[in-house]
Amino acid sequence: MEHKGDFLNLLKTHNCQIHIDPPATSTNSSPNQLEWTEGTTVIAVRYKHGVIIGGDRRATAGTSVIYDRAEKVLQIDEYSVLAISGAPAVAYEMGRVLEHSFQYFRRSQLQELSIEGKLRMLSRLIRENLPMTLQGIGGVIPIFAIYNLQSGDDNGGKIFFYDALGAHFESADFATSGSGSVWIRGVLYHVNRWGDIRLVDMDEQQATINILRLLDAASEYDAATSGYNPKSQIFPTVKTITQDGIQDLSVERLNQIYSQFVETDHVR
Amino acid sequence: MLDEPYRWIEAINNRRDYIEDQLRIGSPVVGLAYGEGMLLLTIGRGQRKIFEVHDRLALSAIGHTADIERLRMLATDTASVQGFQSSVDDVTLNRLSNFVLGPTIKQAFEAVFASAYIIKMLAAELGSHGQDNQFVALNYDGTTRSSYRAEAIGGTEEAETAMRNYLSDSDLTDLSFTAALRIGLETWAVGWDVRRNAENTDHIETKTSEQEEEDTHCSNKNNSDEPSADKEHIHSVLKKELMDGQLDVGVLQESRRSNNKFRSIPTAEIDEAIVDWL
Repeated sequence: MEHKGDFLNLLKTHNCQIHIDPPATSTNSSPNQLEWTEGTTVIAVRYKHGVIIGGDRRATAGTSVIYDRAEKVLQIDEYSVLAISGAPAVAYEMGRVLEHSFQYFRRSQLQELSIEGKLRMLSRLIRENLPMTLQGIGGVIPIFAIYNLQSGDDNGGKIFFYDALGAHFESADFATSGSGSVWIRGVLYHVNRWGDIRLVDMDEQQATINILRLLDAASEYDAATSGYNPKSQIFPTVKTITQDGIQDLSVERLNQIYSQFVETDHVR
Repeated sequence: MLDEPYRWIEAINNRRDYIEDQLRIGSPVVGLAYGEGMLLLTIGRGQRKIFEVHDRLALSAIGHTADIERLRMLATDTASVQGFQSSVDDVTLNRLSNFVLGPTIKQAFEAVFASAYIIKMLAAELGSHGQDNQFVALNYDGTTRSSYRAEAIGGTEEAETAMRNYLSDSDLTDLSFTAALRIGLETWAVGWDVRRNAENTDHIETKTSEQEEEDTHCSNKNNSDEPSADKEHIHSVLKKELMDGQLDVGVLQESRRSNNKFRSIPTAEIDEAIVDWL
């Protein structure tokens, strides 16, 4: 048997279906009558040492908040992160398939999958999910961030965003996705272009301050995005990818940055 | 004719002789538990022999390259599908060796009209949720042997016995990576030396019958419970083989930040651990 390290084919040979079949259009239950869980804000920014990725924690179904500790910034391997927006059932499964695919390639082929290979794998997953996307019930538009150790530059951080059909585009500075992203995209552009310091020159703290402030701004205008919840001490997820790998910013660190730079006494 | 029980047993025994003869030249593999995890090592001729199978599972083997590849892929495929469909916690060495690899190897071994696997495997599992680390050695007939602290496989039964004796004579408590690597390498050299001596013995046996007694004595000496050679001799064997071959070391390390605990140790790191030692 020939082995190409293709995890999706391996699953197929073991009769393991990963995609949900969309309901037939002839049925009475139109998607509009159902309340699908979606809506979010995720941000990825290239900063001095790599990429910093943030995401809010709210999961909603229609106007209901169904979960306030959702993780939308997922570690896929030692140097790559998937920030998801869209239907959680599909998005989490996509993240899981991606993680297992990269591992399977490395374990079976005895070498890492290339960055291009990783991007194409995600494209393929989005494309195979097209029927769900077209029905408006299971679309996922993720951001993929990775650190390229072989780039030869000081900063090997890379950010890619996708469209609903699976095309990927590299972003030079930042990318946002989710229902709240429309409110902050322009702000990011403004900060990067006319701010005191460009995003790519910011250190970890400066970049984190911006991520947290932007998520706060998104939550102000988008009901599906949560801000910081002081009652339950729930903070957004913030991860960094540098040449040393992926690091989660601790709750203590986020709390400190929040109280010092986001929820300060002089905030209006 | 092979449906007669005697013929069938004879065919199996022939097969056993054939496989053992093929495995004789295999470079041993040594597995050791140490403070931070477990390591598997061997000295090869350029081809990688220590493999990552799953988050907490590693595998190594001696035998025919094509057979190693087939069984490695069987283990990797099974573990990957199971880990995805269910949970990585359900991928365990016991399940993999007793329900997948063992039966597959045994079936091929006893199907006398088809080809058998020319293989011996050594698998390691880093214990999770408070469970012990475990090594499982799989023989070419599908039988398994498990141990918790150290294990070794070699080309011959004699080499394996000598290596296991060497390991049981060594102090294996609270080993650092460097200490484990050194004991592992010495154990490898003990196994390699026994094999080499046996080869010489065979060679002499074919020459004269007068020398037979001496050769048997020599062979018995290697089979005894004592390590076949003193440290100095072991080190000189090791030095020579390290110059000719390539050291292959893989570890399962609990302290790794990711869920995936396997790491192939780069040459520079190995050199650092054994520099000024031999």
